[in-house]
Amino acid sequence: MTGILWLELIVGIIVSFTLLGVFIWGVKQGQFDDGKKMMNGLLNDSTEDLQDAVKNEEKVKAIKEKKAKEKKELDK
Amino acid sequence: MSLVKCTHCHLEFDESVMIKEPENPELNFCCNGCQGVYHLLKDDGLDNFYDKVGKNTLSPPVAVGVDSSNFDMESFKSRYIKTTNEGFSRVDLIIEGIHCAACIWLNEKVLAQTDGIVEASINFTNNKAKIVWDEDIIKLSEIIDKIRSIGYNAYPYDRSESEKKATKNKRDYFLRMSVAIFASMNIMMIGVAKYTGFFTGMEDDMLRLIHMAEFIFATPVVFYSGWIFFRGAYYGLKNKILNMDFLVSSGATLIYIYSLYVLFGGDGHSYFDSAAMIITFVLVGKYLEVIGKKGAVDTMDKIKSTIPLEATLIVDGGKKVVPLDKIEVGDIIEVKNGEKASVDGELVTGETSFDESSISGESLPVSKKVGDKIFSGTINLNQVIRYKAVKNYANSTLNSIVELLEDSLNSKPKIEDVTNELSKYFSVIILSLALATFFGWYFYDGSFEKALIIAISVIIIACPCALALATPIASLIGVSWLSREGLLFKEAKFIETFAKVDTIVLDKTGTVTKGKLEVINCEMVSDDSDALNILYSLADSSTHPISKAVKKYLEINFENLQHVELENIEQIHSKGLKATYNNKTILGGNSELLEEYQITIEKEYTSTIYHFAIEDTLIASFELADTIKEDAIKTIEYLKSQNIEIVMCSGDNENIVAKVASQVGIDNFKAKMTPIEKADYINKLKAEGKIVVMAGDGVNDALALSRASIAISMGTGADISIAVSDVVILNDSLSGLEKSVYISKRTFKFIKQNLAISLVYNVLTVPIAMAGYVIPLVAALSMSLSSLLVVGNSIRINNKKYEGK
Repeated sequence: MTGILWLELIVGIIVSFTLLGVFIWGVKQGQFDDGKKMMNGLLNDSTEDLQDAVKNEEKVKAIKEKKAKEKKELDK
Repeated sequence: MSLVKCTHCHLEFDESVMIKEPENPELNFCCNGCQGVYHLLKDDGLDNFYDKVGKNTLSPPVAVGVDSSNFDMESFKSRYIKTTNEGFSRVDLIIEGIHCAACIWLNEKVLAQTDGIVEASINFTNNKAKIVWDEDIIKLSEIIDKIRSIGYNAYPYDRSESEKKATKNKRDYFLRMSVAIFASMNIMMIGVAKYTGFFTGMEDDMLRLIHMAEFIFATPVVFYSGWIFFRGAYYGLKNKILNMDFLVSSGATLIYIYSLYVLFGGDGHSYFDSAAMIITFVLVGKYLEVIGKKGAVDTMDKIKSTIPLEATLIVDGGKKVVPLDKIEVGDIIEVKNGEKASVDGELVTGETSFDESSISGESLPVSKKVGDKIFSGTINLNQVIRYKAVKNYANSTLNSIVELLEDSLNSKPKIEDVTNELSKYFSVIILSLALATFFGWYFYDGSFEKALIIAISVIIIACPCALALATPIASLIGVSWLSREGLLFKEAKFIETFAKVDTIVLDKTGTVTKGKLEVINCEMVSDDSDALNILYSLADSSTHPISKAVKKYLEINFENLQHVELENIEQIHSKGLKATYNNKTILGGNSELLEEYQITIEKEYTSTIYHFAIEDTLIASFELADTIKEDAIKTIEYLKSQNIEIVMCSGDNENIVAKVASQVGIDNFKAKMTPIEKADYINKLKAEGKIVVMAGDGVNDALALSRASIAISMGTGADISIAVSDVVILNDSLSGLEKSVYISKRTFKFIKQNLAISLVYNVLTVPIAMAGYVIPLVAALSMSLSSLLVVGNSIRINNKKYEGK
């Protein structure tokens, strides 16, 4: 009985510390700097917003590629 | 007449003044700005913004005086725009007009949809935005115009080193606090099993397992989260000071080491939970302080973003744009309509009006003629003028205020709260008692181990949980009560200071008075409806505060007013308006204007006056004044009954201030005070040992507010004064002061009771521990019991409702 509890304790601690590690990574990335926005994020997340985010990423990627290409040509 | 909501900003107005669209009768707009933004959002498919806004209200968009092309100037670029590694441009902006999450959503969405913008992220907490864009595709001025087009405004700010440091510090504390809370919550859950086991009985193996789990969770709390206290204790000892950090860290370490000894074979009971809890409680309090410091940095950035960047000098007949620090005494500076004066000076050409509300707090424009003084930071409202600099930028009013403000925000004195004061003595006494117990038992019994265990049990039983909870729990209940009454306390600790207040300094305009001109007397020679319609149209054609007040008076007192088509509307500087209607001359303005057109005014007026005449016949005269708030007299009476000294400070002249003071029953008042004089006065009061609350609303009050023990601003006050205040009265009523005093005093009474409970508890239990009679069950129960008593007592704060005096 105690043996299983020891195993559970070890697994539980590994899982919870892994989650804590992910959280610490998020904090270090600055994802929790804006408390208010984080709490209100749920209100504004919709499928449409996600699609827009993807479109925006594509747009930014295109601008970045273009800029990199121009820089390359300029270096030549 | 019924009130309807504006479709865009959701503010309520009388239906008769709303803008309607025949094709969309369900739409109501309070102004052209709201109408424009609504259609723009609808055309761009962003009208689901209104679903997200919900019941929140927005500010109607206002026309911004400064041309956005300034943002493309070289001097601006070199100061604010950085280049990223990828070759894009980056600027940091402060967005004005953000009210809710939907505003952030809208701004980010609009910017993301704009071609050439690579990144746009806005921080909701401080309204700061980071924008990255491709200069080849879009200019910054176009980005700013885009933000303005949807009803917001943006100012650049210099992302200072202090901001980066404050952000890093806040993140570090947040991380340490999160780890402490996470681990403590787990320890608490394990604790339920442990303490239940005391009643039901538990095998030794099981207890060891529980102790091991507590050890694993408590270790990061003590050494990672608690590192701040070890560091603080080290610096304290280095300077020969026994500070709070030393007591927290030594207490937690002793308990931790003892528990470790128990875990690895020693006799007794482990207290990893107590070690973790002490650190977590105190750390949460420290984190709140760090947030306050970050807030001060954000406020300073907001203030600095309103300073003009450069000035136009007149050199050899030509114009030259120079940065402010290059302006020398004697230089001639040109200021266009809508621009701010950059340094103090004297008017040499032109005639205009200046908005001096940032200096005097008065909203009425001040007319300026050649030879008059111009103050830096004030806004030119009419024609282009030229003035001679009499001071350089470093010595000018604006810079002095900004520097002083920065100074006082960074070094806001911490008022020692009663718990902090007590806990210093408390901890020293407990540590001494533990030490005495150790030596006592050691010499009496001879067993080192027994002496150590009993000494540590003294520290454990005197766990400062109840003491640590005494203030926060009561303050939390007090703050939530205050917020239900529309009083926003930015930090719970202000309740205690508020309860001890002995002097309240009030600003006049906007605080004691409504801050708006109102018609107090009207003499009508004729009430012909045609004449009324002409008067209404003339008053509506100007945005001057006097015209607005007359228009409002007419709307309230007369029905069926209609607009007529006036021609040749002309603003006559500092005097009023002139127009023509059916070839007749229409005049609206002061006595001087009418006398210029040979209309004699016989009566002498002491207050602001607005006459209306058609051709050479006087039709109506309106006397206007700023009226006192309805609840002012009652509030002042209440505050006096609480033995609080009340002083009214104003930038206005002596006669007006004296009149208002006598109306509301204030005996002590100061007139013609500049922002710096107000701040000095607050300092003087504080030097006399007084706890000073300052209530104000204007930009001119910001400095004095930052100096006060507690700063209160009105919800509709200037952004800067709200930013520097500790308390915001959301509904602008002065009775908020009365409620704040009442609720704070009641809450403080409970804080004192809580402290007494926790001290009595310690007086009773510590001797038992010193005598060596504490068994683990007693320790566990008594620790929870003292905390429960404190929480239960605090809940009683709400029992007695506030019903006014």
